[in-house]
Amino acid sequence: MNTRAITTGIIAGAVALGLSAPAQAAETIKIGAVTPLSGKISIYGEGFRKAMELAVDKINAGGGIKGKKLEIIFEDNASTSQGSVSAIQKHISIRKLPIVFGPAASSNFLAVCPIAQSAKVVLIAAESAAAKISNCGSYVYRVFPSDKLQGKGVSDLVKRLGVNSVALTYVNNDWGVGLAEVFKAKFTAAGGKIVGEFAHDEGKTDYRAEALRLKKYGAKYVVNLTYVKEGATLLKQAAQNNYRPQWIMGSATRSAKFVSLAGKAAEGVIGTYPTVARDKAPYKAYLAAWKAKYPGKKAPIFGEYNYDMVMVAARAIAAAGSYNAEAIRKALSAAGKSYNGVTGNKAFSAQGDILNATYGVWTVKGGKITEYKK
Amino acid sequence: MYYLELLINGIAAGGTYALFAVGLTMVYGIFRFINFAHGEMIAWGAYGVLLFLAPPFGLPLWLAIILALALTAGIALASERIAFRPLAGRAPLVLLIASIGVSFVLRGILQFIFGADLQSYGVEISGRIEIFGLVATYIQLAMLGLSLTFFAGLYVLLRFTLLGKTLRAVADNAELFGIMGLPLARVRLVVWSLGALFAATGGILLALDTNLEPYMGLTNLLKAFAAVLLGGAGNVFGALLGGLIIGVGENLGTAIISPGYKDLIAFAVVVIMLLFRPQGLFAVKSGVR
Repeated sequence: MNTRAITTGIIAGAVALGLSAPAQAAETIKIGAVTPLSGKISIYGEGFRKAMELAVDKINAGGGIKGKKLEIIFEDNASTSQGSVSAIQKHISIRKLPIVFGPAASSNFLAVCPIAQSAKVVLIAAESAAAKISNCGSYVYRVFPSDKLQGKGVSDLVKRLGVNSVALTYVNNDWGVGLAEVFKAKFTAAGGKIVGEFAHDEGKTDYRAEALRLKKYGAKYVVNLTYVKEGATLLKQAAQNNYRPQWIMGSATRSAKFVSLAGKAAEGVIGTYPTVARDKAPYKAYLAAWKAKYPGKKAPIFGEYNYDMVMVAARAIAAAGSYNAEAIRKALSAAGKSYNGVTGNKAFSAQGDILNATYGVWTVKGGKITEYKK
Repeated sequence: MYYLELLINGIAAGGTYALFAVGLTMVYGIFRFINFAHGEMIAWGAYGVLLFLAPPFGLPLWLAIILALALTAGIALASERIAFRPLAGRAPLVLLIASIGVSFVLRGILQFIFGADLQSYGVEISGRIEIFGLVATYIQLAMLGLSLTFFAGLYVLLRFTLLGKTLRAVADNAELFGIMGLPLARVRLVVWSLGALFAATGGILLALDTNLEPYMGLTNLLKAFAAVLLGGAGNVFGALLGGLIIGVGENLGTAIISPGYKDLIAFAVVVIMLLFRPQGLFAVKSGVR
């Protein structure tokens, strides 16, 4: 079991009982996090946690937030929405934290955002892309570009390849459906044709039926908006069936794990991803810090967004003056606008979405993820 | 062509479902309870191979498979000894709940040792055969081949050996069996280790085909459960047919409904069978046939 969660739970309980005003009396500033440390998407969760802790180290090494140390309390959500709800309840009602970092996977994030909104607690997402999140409310922010931007990015990429007809499949959850809808709207508006489409379930071991359905459509280009495991299995099983279209994917599959699971079937896949300026100083500094703290570990997918999320939050807390949700929320816009982080400028729109995002194109060549060049 | 290919995939998947179902149906037939922990035998079989493949063991695949099968049988026997035997004779519900508990424990240990992360063996058996454009991978062929072989072996065991007669006798009437002074110990040993062996084999094939995750047992238990219901609880060969019907049905079904809803077919079978024919298509009144 998660001993960390138990211990922090006990400590939080003790603090709540022993001190009348823990927030003021404590020497540390605590932020809650709901993180998938077990379950279906724990592949990602561990990397998120490490990246967030890297940011905490950086802040604390620089004197903390106005002299107070920052600490993130991680709560596992078992990659489920039920788990996310109980985790955020713990942060909000037991620990009384004014700011929480939300869970990955848009479905899980969407499950907790109404809770944070009605409790008036600031909630920030680091890698949730679903377009719907924009409607979550005034306390909800994200440092990751919305699918409204990425759906367009995929459509632009397909057009750029000179392709006019594709088959479409997407993972059956808020993220996949939302992204697919935006893609469809943009692609058909630009004169593109979708020869066939269907959703596929998360977490299965057998995607042969899906592969055969795509093969039946006979499309040479398939837009496949899915996750690592689902994508890898589907590509592998399609290749076993002699079906090797040009796969066009989103950013979630852009990981070494995807390539190692899919093997040869991943070769030549192309996809979009929110670009991070890897040649610029902030990213280089981030990578150097990562290597120093976690030698031998690869920097994880979306790690830099988690890092920036902590940095922006820390800036907002410092600027807020007092540690309460209302003050932090008011300080966030200015904090984002003035922060040029690893993943670029974090100015927020009125809906809490970031305004600036550019998309790059990735591909797999010789078993490695590289930049796509036409 | 499309339908034939779906049929091939269905038969291969059905073969593994049948392998999973055997232990479930035998335990039900003889010990009269639904063993929810049976799914963990699937996962432990698969992870057992991973355990022996990786350092410090670093054994070759064939040896790792043999050891993994032995390990899984050992776990099944241990769980029987520790959890189920002390509860023997209690209401089926008590045993069912105990089995859910055992399943949590076994899965927890698995996650503790291997992590929740997705894993693969790193050995890719990528061979396949093609006839008239129809494709079947070696693993898929092994799924069908091994399940047919295993079931043939089981048939011989149950029909032509004293042990098989003993098994059928105890399934028929456990109390009378005890009164006659026949040895229950051997029956336990055989039923639990055979069930684990079948499930672990299926799990290893599944892992070779795709990959491993701690929840693989749980997700496949539903399919096994549907196969058992279809075949009639306690009916070993019904489970084979049930597994194949589920596998073929769900794959052919995707020609009509979206593949995203494939699992719906197994669920629908469970519901319909429970409503209209809870004794199964190939009903036996009780016992192992």
